Amino acid sequence: MKLRKQPFQEGNVLICALCTILVISLIGANVLQNSTTRFNVASSQVRSWKEALFAAETGGDIGYAEVRKTVLDPSHAFEGWTTSGLQRTSPVITFGNNNLSTSTVIDVFYYDPATGNPWYRSRTRGTAPVKGLLRTGMDDRMDANTKGDSLLRKIDFFTDHFIATYGPNGDGVDKAIVPVANPQVTRRIEQISAPITPFEAAIRANGIFYGLGSAAYVDSYRSKNGAYDSSVKDNPSHPNFGDSRSGTVEINTAVATIQGSIYGNVYTNGGTVTKRTTNITGVIDNNVPFSLVPLEMPSAATWNYVASPSAVNGNTTITPAAPGSATSPNYYLITSFANNGNLTVTPAMNAGSPQETYVTLHVTDNIGNSTSSSPSIEVPLHVHLKIYFDGNLQTKAQNIINTSGYAGNLQFYAISPTDPSVQQTIDLNSGGGSTTGFSAVFYAPTANFTINGAPDITGAIVCKNFYANGNIHWHYDRELDNEGVAVDYRIVSYVEDTR
Amino acid sequence: MKRTTSLKTRGFTLTEVMIALGIGGVALGATLTSSISLQKSFRAIDSYFATHMQQIRIVDYLSRDVKRGLIVTTSADLQTVTITIPNYIYQKTDPEAIANPALVGTPRQPTITNTPSGPQVNYGTTTSTVVYSINGLSILRTENGAVTTIASSTDQLVPLTTDVELANTEYTKTSITFQPIFSSGGSVASRSGTTVYSTAYLRNKRRG
Repeated sequence: MKLRKQPFQEGNVLICALCTILVISLIGANVLQNSTTRFNVASSQVRSWKEALFAAETGGDIGYAEVRKTVLDPSHAFEGWTTSGLQRTSPVITFGNNNLSTSTVIDVFYYDPATGNPWYRSRTRGTAPVKGLLRTGMDDRMDANTKGDSLLRKIDFFTDHFIATYGPNGDGVDKAIVPVANPQVTRRIEQISAPITPFEAAIRANGIFYGLGSAAYVDSYRSKNGAYDSSVKDNPSHPNFGDSRSGTVEINTAVATIQGSIYGNVYTNGGTVTKRTTNITGVIDNNVPFSLVPLEMPSAATWNYVASPSAVNGNTTITPAAPGSATSPNYYLITSFANNGNLTVTPAMNAGSPQETYVTLHVTDNIGNSTSSSPSIEVPLHVHLKIYFDGNLQTKAQNIINTSGYAGNLQFYAISPTDPSVQQTIDLNSGGGSTTGFSAVFYAPTANFTINGAPDITGAIVCKNFYANGNIHWHYDRELDNEGVAVDYRIVSYVEDTR
Repeated sequence: MKRTTSLKTRGFTLTEVMIALGIGGVALGATLTSSISLQKSFRAIDSYFATHMQQIRIVDYLSRDVKRGLIVTTSADLQTVTITIPNYIYQKTDPEAIANPALVGTPRQPTITNTPSGPQVNYGTTTSTVVYSINGLSILRTENGAVTTIASSTDQLVPLTTDVELANTEYTKTSITFQPIFSSGGSVASRSGTTVYSTAYLRNKRRG
């Protein structure tokens, strides 16, 4: 049978189908446009904005690592960076799947006048590309006059808005229109790295601890509040009582044989404090690990080298011509320090008046090298002496003479042997029950420290193994908390430049 | 006389028309209903996403300020957050900038001050204060008196911030919720389902 066409019915279905497709397409296009806009914001622009901060903080971490190297590995600090005076600039580093980039400028902006330790400022920029269409797509629908997204997330589509408005360093200098290759977000942070000084406790032992003797004690005071007074620690009504019980002992192993009294806290690393624990006035915490890294000789680049003397044999006096400063001390390289060497460092004079004089020695040998050693070191008033030594130190407590009584004025630093099988030692054997002590601090992270007799000591020590056998009275001066050379750095300030 | 019927002019029977109209009506009704539902759904999703973007914006603003904050305090109802931040950029009203207007808009040099708890980094002798608060349907950020509306939604955005201060660290925990427009009866579940959480640590916590 043959079907007959109905001409007046032609086209209806086609028109309906086209209209339906049109309506659906319009809806689809609308949805797509909204989705793309939202996607741009949520997935691309917000992400880029966050990633730019990640990049900046990565650059900050890289810079911080270099700052730490200035004390942990001085010979390799800032390798590959550009140096201009006290300012160092990193190369631009690109990383990650999204091609994030970062660069850092670090400068020394402050020297601690007392210790000479530098503080570093790190200014880092991190950049993340913005993928997607060249449109903001930002959601500003909150108020006719405010644009929250634009205020918060600044995207450079064609030019770098920061350089154009504030200059490359943000100080209004050298403003320029600088095109960007692709849309990008850049964020800038500034961090301050502060030195960590080593004498935050009376005694820190990285290895085992034994001491200090059954009638010994460790207590504390604060020298700026007056001279040490042994009665304060047992007198709660005394105004300085609060400073008298910070004679803290920190031990980084489980081996902690405590004898005598500790007017302070005792920390160990998984240990069980044995013996007279009732004589510990503070907290006993057996879960306080820490780490000490070997000490390297710091850079002497800013120090004022003085050629003579180069050895201490018999009576040797050093009197610098100029007082120097904590940042730029008078620096002497001593290749020999004999058993009978008696070193006295006297202050530089100006018109007959002694000046606050800063002296640093680097002894590349032992200071005393036998059990009968009795070399002496004398530091009169107005002298601030640091002694770095590569070998061992052996003498009697009474041979360490610091007239000022402030332990920060006589600092010993034991440079760690490059051969780890070599055991460095510090042996202060007073003998004969002598009670004559000293005021000094020791930073010797890889040296075993031994002290005998009954000396009265003001100061602090950081060592490997600590052994004391005698009725030692050890007074930690809380002013030492900020004393000494930097042994590490920590970030103490973080600011984002939100412009 | 016999009436002849031309095939070309023949109409539909009443039954056919009624059936066709019925089917057409149902189809049209279904289409209209679907269209309206789609529109409503689209509007709801669009609004949900837009409000979600505002949640993210609030979180980003707050995190940025908390990270660089020196001190953070929150109100008892957890809806007002006050942050003290370093005065990093010279402002017009700063004494140094009054003396030397060229300094306005430039970054400050950090200085070190010795305090009982150790050396402290400062940018100038004053600090800036940022306050986050709710005003009606808007979330406001006020920095040194200058108000910015950072979010505004009829979906009733509610940020809640808790400040957690420990011995050696401090951080804020923020949760932001809103009431989606397609929820029925303002149920608690529909609000809690929109929660965005954020934690930000103070990098400059002041000690002592």
